[in-house]
This record gives sequence, structure tokens and C-alpha cells, in this order.
Amino acid sequence: MTNTDATNLYLPDMGTIQEVIEETANIKTFRITLNNPDAMRDFRFEPGQVGQLSVFGVGESTFVINSSPTRMDYLQFSVMRVGELTEKLHKLRPGDQVGVRAPLGNCFPYKEMKGKDIVFVGGGIGMAPLRTLLLYMLDNRDDYGKISLLYGARSPFDMAFSYELPDWLEREDMTTELTVDNGTPDWKHHVGLIPNVLKEMAPSAENAYAVTCGPPIMIKFTIEALHSLGFKDDQIITTLEKRMKCGVGICGRCNIGTKYVCKDGPVFTNAQLKELPNEL
Amino acid sequence: MPTARYIANDKLMPWLLSLTETRQVLAPVQAGGQTLFAPLTADSQLDINGLADASAKAALLPRCETLFEFHYSKSEGIPSKTELEVRETLPDQDTFLFGARPCDAKGFTVFDRVYDGGTRRDIYYCTRRDKTIVATLACTDPADTCFCNRVGGGPGDTDGSDILFTPVDGGYVIEPVTERGEAFLAEQPLVEAEDRKEEARKVREKVAEAMPDEGSLGGAKGEVLELFDDKEFWGDVTAKCLSCGACSYLCPTCYCFNMTDESNGDDGVRVRTWDNCMSFQFTLEGSGHNPRDGKAQRMRNRIGHKFSYYPELHDGNLACVGCGRCIVHCPVSMDVRAIVAQARDRALAKQEHAND
Amino acid sequence: MASSIDDLKSAIKKALPDLDMVIAWAAGPDPLSHTPLFITEEADIERIEWDPRCSQNLAGYLPGLRGKKVGIVVKGCDARSLVELLQEKLIDREDVTIFGLHCTGAVDARTARKALGSLRGLESVSIDGGTASFSVSGESKTLPLAGVLQKKCFTCTGADAEVCDHFIGEHGQPPQVTDIPATTLEELQAMSMEERLHFWEDQMSRCIRCYACRSACPLCVCQDHCAAQSREPHWVDQTDHPREKLMFQAIHALHTAGRCTECGECERACPMGLPIMTLKQALNLSIQDLFDYKAGTDPDQAPPLFEFREEEKNIKERDW
Repeated sequence: MTNTDATNLYLPDMGTIQEVIEETANIKTFRITLNNPDAMRDFRFEPGQVGQLSVFGVGESTFVINSSPTRMDYLQFSVMRVGELTEKLHKLRPGDQVGVRAPLGNCFPYKEMKGKDIVFVGGGIGMAPLRTLLLYMLDNRDDYGKISLLYGARSPFDMAFSYELPDWLEREDMTTELTVDNGTPDWKHHVGLIPNVLKEMAPSAENAYAVTCGPPIMIKFTIEALHSLGFKDDQIITTLEKRMKCGVGICGRCNIGTKYVCKDGPVFTNAQLKELPNEL
Repeated sequence: MPTARYIANDKLMPWLLSLTETRQVLAPVQAGGQTLFAPLTADSQLDINGLADASAKAALLPRCETLFEFHYSKSEGIPSKTELEVRETLPDQDTFLFGARPCDAKGFTVFDRVYDGGTRRDIYYCTRRDKTIVATLACTDPADTCFCNRVGGGPGDTDGSDILFTPVDGGYVIEPVTERGEAFLAEQPLVEAEDRKEEARKVREKVAEAMPDEGSLGGAKGEVLELFDDKEFWGDVTAKCLSCGACSYLCPTCYCFNMTDESNGDDGVRVRTWDNCMSFQFTLEGSGHNPRDGKAQRMRNRIGHKFSYYPELHDGNLACVGCGRCIVHCPVSMDVRAIVAQARDRALAKQEHAND
Repeated sequence: MASSIDDLKSAIKKALPDLDMVIAWAAGPDPLSHTPLFITEEADIERIEWDPRCSQNLAGYLPGLRGKKVGIVVKGCDARSLVELLQEKLIDREDVTIFGLHCTGAVDARTARKALGSLRGLESVSIDGGTASFSVSGESKTLPLAGVLQKKCFTCTGADAEVCDHFIGEHGQPPQVTDIPATTLEELQAMSMEERLHFWEDQMSRCIRCYACRSACPLCVCQDHCAAQSREPHWVDQTDHPREKLMFQAIHALHTAGRCTECGECERACPMGLPIMTLKQALNLSIQDLFDYKAGTDPDQAPPLFEFREEEKNIKERDW
């Protein structure tokens, strides 16, 4: 049931935190179930869609639903601590109540991506939106071609989903490369900036899509690297961060030209981004 | 179906006051030297000369409204557990909005397209809209700063209204615009005045014809967008802008809002309040990045939204109704008409130059 | 006699080649209020206007133009704001070229509009003696100053820019206004505490939180990071309660105590016509009592609340 069908677009569903995972010094993952069992059972979303999490008394903020629609035991959100709301969220524990307004926004074009090779390039917390699509594709493996992941962070301690990385590294149905800016003595993988490692990996652009997310500067140089590897703008997909409030395209805040990031995004191809006014 | 009625000047206030028995009546009243829309009481000084200083938009989009209340409490059986109760608070009041001008009412149609968009309906706005009858007063003395005729409107237009009052000799001819307006009027003790409809129509026609025709400000959506990267243009245009918010808050078509939680101990509310794209914080992200960190970019978005993006999304309708309040009340007299005309001229000149 | 506009134009023309820009006033869309003009080319100089409709305090633009060589035209009250900015080191004296004027008073667009009725055909405005003359379609309408002048002009402490590089015309006295109505401050001082609270609750109920008062204030250089919009600490909440709005006004008044030169821009900018300068005036009276200090007179002084003295002249803590 999409949120836009709800009678009151702004009233969150009540949810309970089931599990809190400390990913890094400033990232925590929350696994949440909706209190209303019918709502939880009927909840549908597509990879890439986001939700607004409420801590009543503090406010709301937007996070991608980074669990996969194929695994509905809970809704997973990963939160980097940057401000008032995320600070408060980080203090919550299993059993605490939050508000959930989801799903909002558009999704990755996972249907158009069928039969293609997929190159994931994630940086830091940017791995979160990629995770939902990656897991969805692994759960529908036959629908997709080669899957490769390049995940980078400042250091090994800044990598999210570290408990899942061993599985991704070992799997035979995908290739995984990890890189950090600053290594440690026992770091066995690449040391280097993501765009440079990407160029070394040199994935083929033929019949392929690239999905990338991370800090703005990383996305910028990654897209340049992808261009140099032959990826066209409509083959490059990213998801944008923007200050959002209503999440349904009414409050007027998150627009870039005629597009509302909460409604027409946050997923965009680079070709779509290039058509927008230069106001990222 | 539609029947014209009449009310004499000296009967207007008593009739409006009689309506307050069954509903809230909002009308332009004098307060502190200004004229603004407020609930009418017997002590009110009704002021229907000219344009009210504030727009009527608070009737449908209040400055601040509570979306829901929440309450934390300790669980009865388990002291370590906290209970949370959330209760939505929907608007509930029938309202008769009197004395809005055609520009104010047209502003409501700008909101309707966004807040009542088919499957996506804002329940707070839509409830108020359903419970509000908009009785518009046709203009007879547009100011120099009025330019409704340049943005697809007019001093006697009915877009967005349920009822239209037209000043005639001795009183007002009252005509229904919508079925809701007619249903309301049918129950009112007003004399029929079919024979004065033509008189009213002539009054409106005369006023509309007398408005100076300085050319339409619509149809410039391409040109405004073309100047997006023209830093010099937007820098020059905003050199004197103070980046306050007077224009946004007085504007009948500005509808951006903010949502914040305000609590007092265990109790709190989530409120929706007017927000303003001229403010620095409007697009400030948690990371510290701000896509519009200067007033030039913010004004570019304001003009872009009203004259380019909104019409692009909504069949060419502008998000400006030409009331001129932004011009009258701007502390430094920014003139939106001049900015749009300059943008259009500059973009056209660039195009011609490109063709040389 | 007001400074001559032709003298002003030639002074600016001479100085312009060495400056990045000069800020003056020009005709705007409102016949009763001129608008700021940013002059970068000689051709712009022709557009300059100088008459009682030049209300805006242009000094407020200077901190944002720091680093550029800026010329600025100032009336007496504007110049005091400029001195305040110099005191607080928000602008650099060597980068500012000040054209000082003798001002005969500034028209209050709101009250003048009501007094005149229609503004069609308004050609010029001048002030002489105790009256203001409005030339409307060739005919002159004369009105007593008390009805059309900005309230701040009634208590003008100096119509001439004291600190400047070029003074245009002759020095003179502030406007001579007879039958001055009681100021809001005087009205409030005659009220009981309860009446005052009721007064402000009523005024603040009309405040729309546009922050035009803050944006127009030449001292509010921190408006993008204002305490009124902070959630950490959370001094003011977003609800529409008059208490919250009065809290913002109190914060603003306290933050400008001893710095405010009563230029009146806050009140002039307020679209709801709220008498908010009154709060600053009240605090300035306290500053006068406690510190014998008036803002905006001497560029080498510092606002008393910026300093800490072990022994204050008028505050004898040890004798309490």
C-alpha cells in the first residue's frame, strides 16, 4: 500500500525497533516492524524507495529502505549521525517506538535492468540504497547478468554492513571489490580512491548499468570514471540526497526545477540529471 | 439555476454578523493600522476599500496548524517501557470567507492543483476547502501595483470563488459561481436581483478595460529557465533583496511549508507552518551542503517556480495572481513584474545573439 | 535645505572610477518609497533620486560587500548605523567612501498613502519647515509632517551624516515637527504591566514571522544562523503563539541593546506595521542609564555589552 493512498499523508504508521546494529562509529542500522500486523503484512515497496522516520518530539528525516522487498521480516534503515534527529535516533533501543511514513519516492528501474550486467559503486553510507537493489537482484538472480560491486570507505572501520561483506566476497554469483582511502596492516583489499579502483576493475559498459551512491564528490568522480569506461548517461543511475519534509511533492522544498526529489526521485539516471537545472 | 441577489450597503455587516451564529466568518478588518482577514465580531472594523494587506490564504492554509498530537507515558505494568500515543487533529470548522479579491480566490486554484491532486490529497487542506465558502468581492479600484490582468486573471474574475459580490449603486449584486455557492445563497434572506445582473457585469467590464495593458507576464517559462546559469542576471536582480520573507508570507500563491515537532515534557505536537524559500535554511542539508546558499539562487528559484516550473507542471497556469502585495510590502521595493520582463528580454536577446 | 541632488550626482561621478560600486537610491515601483540603486557605470548615476522618499538604510548592505570598494550615500540616521558597523569591525573604513547628506525627513509610505488616497500622478515630494508637499499631477498637496513622516524622524538626534568623506550641501537641523503624537514607548510607559503584556500579545498575534525586521536590520549579519531558528538550543518554537513571537522580539532587542541606532528599518520593513522599534528604544534607555552610552556616535568606541570592565562607572556592585 503506497503512502499516497493513505487518508492522511502526514500521519506516520507506528513502528517498533526490533534490532539496532552498530555499523561504524557514526552509522547505525535499525530493523523496524510496523505495529499494525495488517499494515506490516500488506506493506509493499520497490528497491530504492525511501521512508520518513519520526522520533516524536524531535522530527522526521528521510532514509532509504535498505532491506529488500524480497525479505519482509522487517524494514531496515541505516542512519548516519549528522544532526538533531539522527542524534536522537542513535539513542533509541529495541522496543522503542518510531513513526514510519513509507514508501515514498520512485524506485530503481529494476525491471528495465533485467538481462543486463550491473555494476554497483558505493561509498560510505551510500552503500545503503545499493544494498536494497543488490539483495533484490541476488534474490532474483536469473533475471540479471553479471553483478559486480565496488564498495569503498575512508577506512575499514567506516565500512557499513561489514558482517555481510564476507558473504558478498565469497559468493560465486557476484564479484566484490573493496577499497579504503587509508588501509590498516591487516587490510587485504584495495587501497585507493573509488574512481581509480573502478578504472582498474574496468567493467564493460556493454549491455550494462552502473548504480552509484555516496558523498557528492565521490559520485562526481565516479561518473567521470564510468564515462571513461564507455558508460553513457542513461546507463548511470544514482540516488540523490535533499532536504525533504512532506515526502509527497507538496511542501515545495526539494525541487530541482520542475522535479521534486521526493516524488520524481530520489533515483535518477545521469541523463535525467543533466536535463535538470544546475542546482544539486 | 444561478440567480442573482442583492444586498444593500447598510445591510451587509448585520447579515455577515448573523452568519457568525452558525460558522466562522473571515473578513478583511482593520487591525493595528493594517487590513487583514480575521474572524468577524460585532466590534470589527470591516475594511473593503482596496486590497487587504495580508492575503486570504490563511483561511485554507493557516500560518500554523497542528497535524497531530503525541503523548509519552510510562507503561502501566512495565516501568521500563514507554507508551506512545499519537492522535491526528483534523480541522473542523465551517467558514464563510467574505471579501477575498479575485486574485486571492485565484490563489486557491494554485493550491488546489498541488494539495488536491487526484490520488494525492492533503486531508487538512481538502477538509478546509470543503468547509469553506469563498465569497469574492470584485474590484472597482485596482492599484498601480495590481497586475492580475497580466497573469491570466482580472478584477472581476471568478476562478476559485463560490460566490461573487459586485459593488453597484447602493449595495452589491451577489451571484453564485459554484453549486456550493448557490446552495448557500438559496438559504439566505437576500432579495432576488436578476434585473441587476447586467449592471454588475458592466461594472466589472469597465474596471477590467481600464486596467493598463502592459503585456502578459505568462508564456516566459522557457526564457526564465534559460537564464538559470546566468549568475550576473540573478546577482544584479537581487543586489538589493534582503532575503526576508515578507513576499512569501503575503503572497496568495506561496504554499511551501515546514513540519516541526514541538514538545513540552511528555506531550507535544507536530505542526505545519508556512515556510519561505527566501530563507537560508530552506534547503540546508544535514551534511551542511546548501544548494541555494545565496539570495541570488533563492530568488532564481522563487521566480522560476512561479513563472516557469509551476506552469510547466500545470498546463501553463502561473503561480502568481498579480495582487502586487510583494511589491507594496517589500522593504526595498523589489518588483516581480520588472524581474520577469527583464528575464524575458535578456533571454530573447541572448537567443538573437546566438543566431547572429 | 536638503542636500542638492546635482551636487550628490557630481560627487559620485568623480569618485566612481576608483570604486567597485556606489549604493544610492532610485525611483521604484512604489511612488512613495524609492528603492536602492547599485551604481557600477556612469550611466546609472542619472537614475539617482534624493528626496524624502529615500527611506531605506543602505548601510545594511555593507557587511555583505566586505572586501569591495563601496561608495554609499547616507542620511544622518543611516550614518549612525555605519558608525556602529565600524565600531564592531564589520566593515573596513578604508574600503568605504561615504557621501553624507543633510536630511529633511523621511516619508512614512504607509501613513502617507492613507493620507493622500490615490497616488496616481505623484511627481515629487519635498519637506520645508513643518510641512510636506506632495506634487500630484501638477497640483501641490501640503500635509503637516506629524501625519506623514516616519515616527523615528520625530526624535531625530542628527539629520546630518557626522562621519563621512564627502558632505553634500549645508549642515542643518532635524525636521521641525509640531503636534507630535505620543510615541508607542510613551504610551507603554503609562500602562500597567498587565496592560503592556496585553498590548504586546495583541500586536504579536498579527506577526507573520517573516523576519523582515531582522533582514532589514543593518546589525543582523548573523541572520542565516539566528537564535530564533535554532533547535539546539531551542529558545523559540514554531507555533503561532504570540509568546513565541514576543520571545523572538525580546531576543532581537537584547542582541541589539547598546548597538541599535534606532534607524527604524525594523518597523518600516514590518509588513504588519508592528511597533517593534519600541522594544529597542526601551533597552537603549537602560543602556543610556547604565553606561552613559549612545550607539553610533564614535567609531572608536565599542558597544558597552561587548566589553567587560572590572569596575563599571554606574553599577556599584560592591556597595549593594
